[in-house]
Amino acid sequence: MNEETMLSKLKTVAGSEVVRLATVRNEVVFSIPVEKWVDVVSALVEDWGIYHLSAITLQQREESPEEIEVMYHFWHGLGVTFRLAVPVDRPELPSIIAIIPGADFYEREAAEMFGIVFKGREETPPLLLPDDWDQGPPLRRKETDD
Amino acid sequence: MTKTTIPIGPQHPLLKEPISLNIDISGEDVLGGSLRIGYVHRGIERLAQERTYVQNVHLIERICGICSHVHTTTYCYAVESLLGVEIPVRAQYIRALMCELERIHSHLLWFGILAKHVGLEMVFMHSWHNREIVLDIMEALSGGRVIHAANQIGGVRFDLDAEREAMVRNMLHKLEEQVGGVLDGIVHETSIRARTRGVAPITAEQIRQYCVVGPVARASGVDVDMRRDDPLPPYDRLDFNVITHQDGDAWARTMVRVEETRESLKLCEMILDQMPGGPVTTRVSRKVPAGETVVRSEAPRGEVFYYLRSVGSDHPARLKIRTPTLAALSLIPVQLSEIQVADIPVVLAGIDLCIACADR
Amino acid sequence: MLENLLYRSYRWAQKNSLWVLPFNTGGCNGCDIEILDLLTPRYDVERMGILAEATPRHADVLLCTGPVTLQTREAIWQIYMQMPSPKWVAAVGSCSTTGGVFASSSTVLGGVDKLLPVDLYIPGCPVRPEAIIAGLVKLQEKIAQGGENE
Repeated sequence: MNEETMLSKLKTVAGSEVVRLATVRNEVVFSIPVEKWVDVVSALVEDWGIYHLSAITLQQREESPEEIEVMYHFWHGLGVTFRLAVPVDRPELPSIIAIIPGADFYEREAAEMFGIVFKGREETPPLLLPDDWDQGPPLRRKETDD
Repeated sequence: MTKTTIPIGPQHPLLKEPISLNIDISGEDVLGGSLRIGYVHRGIERLAQERTYVQNVHLIERICGICSHVHTTTYCYAVESLLGVEIPVRAQYIRALMCELERIHSHLLWFGILAKHVGLEMVFMHSWHNREIVLDIMEALSGGRVIHAANQIGGVRFDLDAEREAMVRNMLHKLEEQVGGVLDGIVHETSIRARTRGVAPITAEQIRQYCVVGPVARASGVDVDMRRDDPLPPYDRLDFNVITHQDGDAWARTMVRVEETRESLKLCEMILDQMPGGPVTTRVSRKVPAGETVVRSEAPRGEVFYYLRSVGSDHPARLKIRTPTLAALSLIPVQLSEIQVADIPVVLAGIDLCIACADR
Repeated sequence: MLENLLYRSYRWAQKNSLWVLPFNTGGCNGCDIEILDLLTPRYDVERMGILAEATPRHADVLLCTGPVTLQTREAIWQIYMQMPSPKWVAAVGSCSTTGGVFASSSTVLGGVDKLLPVDLYIPGCPVRPEAIIAGLVKLQEKIAQGGENE
C-alpha cells in the first residue's frame, strides 16, 4: 500500500482530520485525532494487515510544552508512524492491547516515563522503574529545562 | 496437585542478567508465570539528552555488551541522516563487517548458553572456544574484544591495510572450518534435539500479535529481516538468504541461528571482496540541524528501532530506542503455560534474552 | 608452631580453591561475558582452582559487574548475607568500581562499594580476561597473607 492509498483509507476511518505530516528516511507520518485512534488501529490490523508495532515514542516538543506527543511506529514494508497529542494536564489515551497484545510493554513504559493514563486496561504496572521510585515521570519536561 | 510458585531471580544460575520470574507449577507441569524486569534500567534515554552527540556514541555502545556495535551503527546512521552526510562506501562496508562478526559471536555465545542449560557442557566449551577466534578478528581490526568503539559520527575509526586484510581472511577461513564442525555437531547431536524438539511451539499468529522480531519470529515462519526489508548500506548490495523455519519450537529457533551463522560467515567474505578503497571517515559538524529521523537495523536478536530528534544544537532533543528483546519478553508468560519444569531453561534460552538491551 | 603450620595450610587451601559467584547488578553484560570466558579453554581458570558457582551458599568470592541500580540493591545485599564467611567481594569493571558511564543516572546508585565492603577492584570497560585473572591472583596473595572480611 503506498502513501496516497493509505491517506485516503485513513480519512474514511478517522474523518478529515488525518493529515500527512512528513516523510523522513523511509517513514511516513500521519496525524490522527485521539478519539478515532482505536478505530484506526482496528482497521490497520483487521482490514489492511498492518500489525507490526515497532515502538511507541513519546516526547514533549519545545514549541508546544503543553501537550505530550505520542507516536506509534508501525512497519509494513515501509515505516508508518501515527502521531497523536494529549494535553499534559489530562494525559489519557485509549489502550490498544486488546487489538495488539504486543503493545502491553510499550504502554507500560509510556505510563511510567510520561505519566500517561491508559483507558481500557485493568492495571498498568511499572515496567522498568524501581518499585520505590518516587520522583514522578522521569522523561517529562521539567521547568528547569531550557 | 496444589499450585506452587517458584520465585527465580534476580540472581539465578539460568542467565547472567538479573531478571525476576515467578513460575507457577503443579507437579512437573508449568501453569504459567510472570516476570519483572527493570533491574538493569540505567536511564539511557535520559542520559542521552544530557550528553552531546559525540559523547552519546560512547554511551550507546554500553547499552549491551553483546550487540554494542549494531546500536552505535544505527545511532550513527541516524545522526548522519540528520546531518545530511553520506559516509564513504568503504566505511559502510567496515560497519557491515563488524555487524556480521558480531552476529556470529552472538550466536556462538547463544549456542554455548543453550548447551549449558541443556546440560551439554562440552558444546559450551567448544562453542565459546571458537568464539575466541571471532573476538581475535574483532580485536585485530578495532583493538577491542567485546566493545570495539568502531563507529564515529561520519565513518569508522580504523582502516584495514592489505596485510591486516590478509590476516583477517586467514582467520575467517580458520573460523569457518572450526565453527562448521561445531554447527554440524549441534545439528546432529541427539541430546540437544531431544531437549528442544517440540518444546514451546509459537505460532506465526502469536508472533504477529506480540510483534516479535528476529530469529524467534523467523523460526515460526514469519519472514522479516531488516537487512533485507529496510537495508542500511551496504546491505542493499549484498546477496544473502533470510533463514526461516516453519515449526516454531525450540529446535526451529536453534536451526535458524545455525543457518544464520553460516550465512554471516559467507557475508563476511563477500564484504571483504566487495569493499572498495577510499577514505573511512568524513568530516561532520558538531551541531546537528533540526529534524527527526527513524532508523531500523537488524541486531543478532532482531529489529532495533531508533528515533532521533534534533533541535539544531549539539545535544539530542529526544532519543528513543526499542530493542528486540523487549518484544520477545512478552512471549514468556505465553510460553510458560504449556511446558514441563525441565523445559524452563530451554524456553528462556530459546528467546536469547538480552535484558541489558531491554531495560536500557 | 603446629598452629602456624595449620593456619598456613588453611590459607593455602582457601586461596587455591576460590569458588566465585558472578552477579550482574545492572551492567551491560560486557564484563559478564568476559568473566564467563574465563571458564573456557583459552583462559581456563579451573587450573587455579576457581569454579563458577550458581548459588551464594557455595561461593567464596562475589564478582560484581555493572553499576548498582536502585532495583538491585536489595538483591545484592541478600546475596552477600547468604554467603558464608570467609567471603570476599571483587568489583569487576569500571561500572562496578565507580558507576562508570552511568554514574550520573538517577536510577543508578553507583559502584558496589556503596553497599558492600570491596576487597578487589579490577578496572576496565570491559575488563579483559587477563586483567580478571591478574586481579584474582592478587586476591589469592591477599588471602594468603590473612586479609579477609568476616
